[in-house]
Amino acid sequence: MADIRIESVTKYYGSQAALRGVSLDVHNGEFVALLGPSGCGKTTLLRAVAGLDRQTNGRIEIGGRDVSDLPPRSRGLAMVFQNYAVFPHLRVRDNIAFGLLMTGTAKDRIERQVARAAALMHIEALLDRYPVQLSGGQRQRVAVARALAVEPAVLLMDEPLSNLDALLRLEMRTELKAVLASARTTTLYVTHDQTEAMGLADRIAIMHEGRIEQIGSPLEIYRQPKSIFVGGFIGNPPMNFLRLPVSGSVVRLGTLILNPPAGINGPVMLGIRPEDLEVAETGAGFAFRVHVPEPLGPHILLTGDVEGQSMRVAVAPDRVMQPGDVVMLRPNTARLSWMNPDTGLALENS
Amino acid sequence: MIGSRRVLLISGVLMICAWTLVPIYLVALGGVGGASTIYAWPKPFWPASLSIGNFTAFLQIEGIWAAMLRSVEVAVLCMILSLLLGAPAGYALARFAFRGANLYRLMILMTRAFPVGILALPLAVSFVRLGIYDTVFGVALMHTALALPFAVLVTASLFVGIPRELEEAAWVFGCSGPGAFRRVVMPLAIPGIAATAIFAFVISWNEVFAASVLTVRNKTLTADLLTLLSEAPLQSQLAGGLLLILPSVLFIFFVRRYLFALWGVASR
Amino acid sequence: MRGQTLRPYLLIMPSLAFLLLLFFVPLVQTVALAFSTTTGTGVGNFVQMLDDLDFRDSVRNTFGLVLCVVPLQLLAALGMSMMLRHVRWGRDIILWIWTIPLGISDLAAGLVWLAILTDKGYLNTILFEVGVISGPQSWLTYETPGALFLAILTAEFWRATAIVFVVLVAGVQLIPREYEEAASVFGATAWQRFRRVTLPLLRPSIQTALILRTVLAFEAFAVVLAVGGRNFPVLVSQAYLWQFTNQNYNVAACYAVLVTLVSLAATLVILIALRPRAGESA
Repeated sequence: MADIRIESVTKYYGSQAALRGVSLDVHNGEFVALLGPSGCGKTTLLRAVAGLDRQTNGRIEIGGRDVSDLPPRSRGLAMVFQNYAVFPHLRVRDNIAFGLLMTGTAKDRIERQVARAAALMHIEALLDRYPVQLSGGQRQRVAVARALAVEPAVLLMDEPLSNLDALLRLEMRTELKAVLASARTTTLYVTHDQTEAMGLADRIAIMHEGRIEQIGSPLEIYRQPKSIFVGGFIGNPPMNFLRLPVSGSVVRLGTLILNPPAGINGPVMLGIRPEDLEVAETGAGFAFRVHVPEPLGPHILLTGDVEGQSMRVAVAPDRVMQPGDVVMLRPNTARLSWMNPDTGLALENS
Repeated sequence: MIGSRRVLLISGVLMICAWTLVPIYLVALGGVGGASTIYAWPKPFWPASLSIGNFTAFLQIEGIWAAMLRSVEVAVLCMILSLLLGAPAGYALARFAFRGANLYRLMILMTRAFPVGILALPLAVSFVRLGIYDTVFGVALMHTALALPFAVLVTASLFVGIPRELEEAAWVFGCSGPGAFRRVVMPLAIPGIAATAIFAFVISWNEVFAASVLTVRNKTLTADLLTLLSEAPLQSQLAGGLLLILPSVLFIFFVRRYLFALWGVASR
Repeated sequence: MRGQTLRPYLLIMPSLAFLLLLFFVPLVQTVALAFSTTTGTGVGNFVQMLDDLDFRDSVRNTFGLVLCVVPLQLLAALGMSMMLRHVRWGRDIILWIWTIPLGISDLAAGLVWLAILTDKGYLNTILFEVGVISGPQSWLTYETPGALFLAILTAEFWRATAIVFVVLVAGVQLIPREYEEAASVFGATAWQRFRRVTLPLLRPSIQTALILRTVLAFEAFAVVLAVGGRNFPVLVSQAYLWQFTNQNYNVAACYAVLVTLVSLAATLVILIALRPRAGESA
């Protein structure tokens, strides 16, 4: 087991920047997810840690050892690839044993480790098959077992669940969490699926255009986005943003009077999550015109506008809503986010 | 309506099969039948007497046997050279994005627009000077020039077809670069490489012009048969022709699974 | 990491050096040989080539053969690849049989048809049995130029249609079936589907097949010699003759230059005629 220390790593492809100075510490035994849209640099960062791509600048330490110039095989890590990369010419057994074989592990130990990893992933029955005889989900299990078998100091995962269908993905996610929690392996996990990141990770690093935009626990990221990007990326549907003027250090929305952080002039962006709004039968609120109601089961998702700015709201499922209806809404004022519309960054609540 | 169309299709397919196979059958009749069949009139469409012993004994007298062995040597040498020179280039094209890769690929494709065999004419002059005229090695060199572009393109597509991730996984799990190539890439590429080798073999085995221009006394089978055209009796020619056809038919059988993948790729 | 950037060059170097020595150098040498005369550099060899008694015939024969056989092969191969799509069983064995000629040398193909078309051959036997002819008859002499041309055409067609077929089938496999299915949903007949959907999508493969085949057809040599002997001169057989029998490497080189130029011109014509239209990704 080891920690990972990434220090101001940059990566250029020609003049194209893929990583613009990324620093990140992953503690011993911690599970960190790199989350972001495609092209944000998350896979590039993972590959730099693996040693599959060399960073342009900066250094990477694993377990206190500078591995920046070491080839992948000398970094003491294991990896699960997006397309599994299960060797098609080897039986499942030999696939799982591959890493141990390369390091010259004794035969009986290899056998024990393979059996243990196979048991963890419930693939004991498949050990003598070839990968072509396996389903996608089973190959995925083999890929994870192969990584676990070497008992790596650091485990890297590159969108390991993205090729599974929805139901299988949910099942594997739960299972993966249980297995990794008991192994307590330091894990760096790349994904573009926020549910995956939220469900699995101790901390999430949101990446955007080659930088880490915010890092924190799933709840922190969800509740206190540090930028419009993070708020708009996390949550399904994402956070609503209303551009509102500040006058006399307050913001008026309908009959509501809201207090943005002190010392702001000009417009601000008010961020509200769809589920942090409720229908105000009485009292203060603002008018929301429904365009499209979508009953989704647990709630009704309303898409509409507030004073011409579009907004999505999740309301209780027992209401009957028609397009064109106007309802009064009230936000949970403890859950409001305030952003600077020019920089896109959060305004500190003092 | 549907039924009659089906009948039309099946009879068409069978006719094309017959169009391909019957001529081969007839040359086999002539080749194995010996002199008696050749001068028979009208010709029997069924072998009167069939004897492989006569056939091979007769081949030895005509010197066709020795020529065939030389042809095998040339083809094997051409196969080895094409792979040794072509496969690394194919791997480079498949795995590395390097400056000049497109230029190199274009150059390889360009050779296709040239009648490469014709280049044996000036090579004959150079080979005399180098002392490799009229040798197995000289012909093999020329044939490699014919087969190499093909070997490069086909192996490139083979290596492209082996996911990079597999190689990366091998690196991560403790392999060095050459180690990953040996343990992961090679086992997966072997069938395709074998097919490429067979193609190189067939290209050399079948080549007539360059082999004829580059040999005088140590003729390959095709070169020998070409001289026999105006000198030897018809049965020798047909026996030689049969000898030329048989291995090719077998080879095509073994590589038939790769045929379309190979040419599909070679056509881009 | 320095090694990483050098590695691809090290890998292509051997093949590059080889092609330089055995492709580019002889190419230049051919041109040099063609233009070098006893009195220095000049076009004397070309004059000698033009004065060659068989020159006109060889040009006419070569072009006649290429212009007849290549279009026929394209049509036949298209038909065969369309038929193959409807074959339900035995596909594997049919593919094998149809592609056997791919592995057959042009010399062997010539010999095959020689066995069939010679005086006492199988064709004459059949013609005799059905009463068309009364005894052995020659088809392959200079007295029967039409029959001789047909014979060589047949042999070349028999041997080399397979390569066009294989390239086209490989191309057909790359076309998703949905396009044709979409066309049939919108009411296109089988012919319209072929004409409006399959054929345009197949254009890159047709282009490749035509280039490969045309260049090889200009090189046709052994098949011609086997079936026609000296009675049917073509450009490459003339080159062989000058090199080997007349021992005049310079005139042989002239023929080689001519064949090369003709091949390049044909390639260019095909490339331009079947180029992707503007805005269409190749």
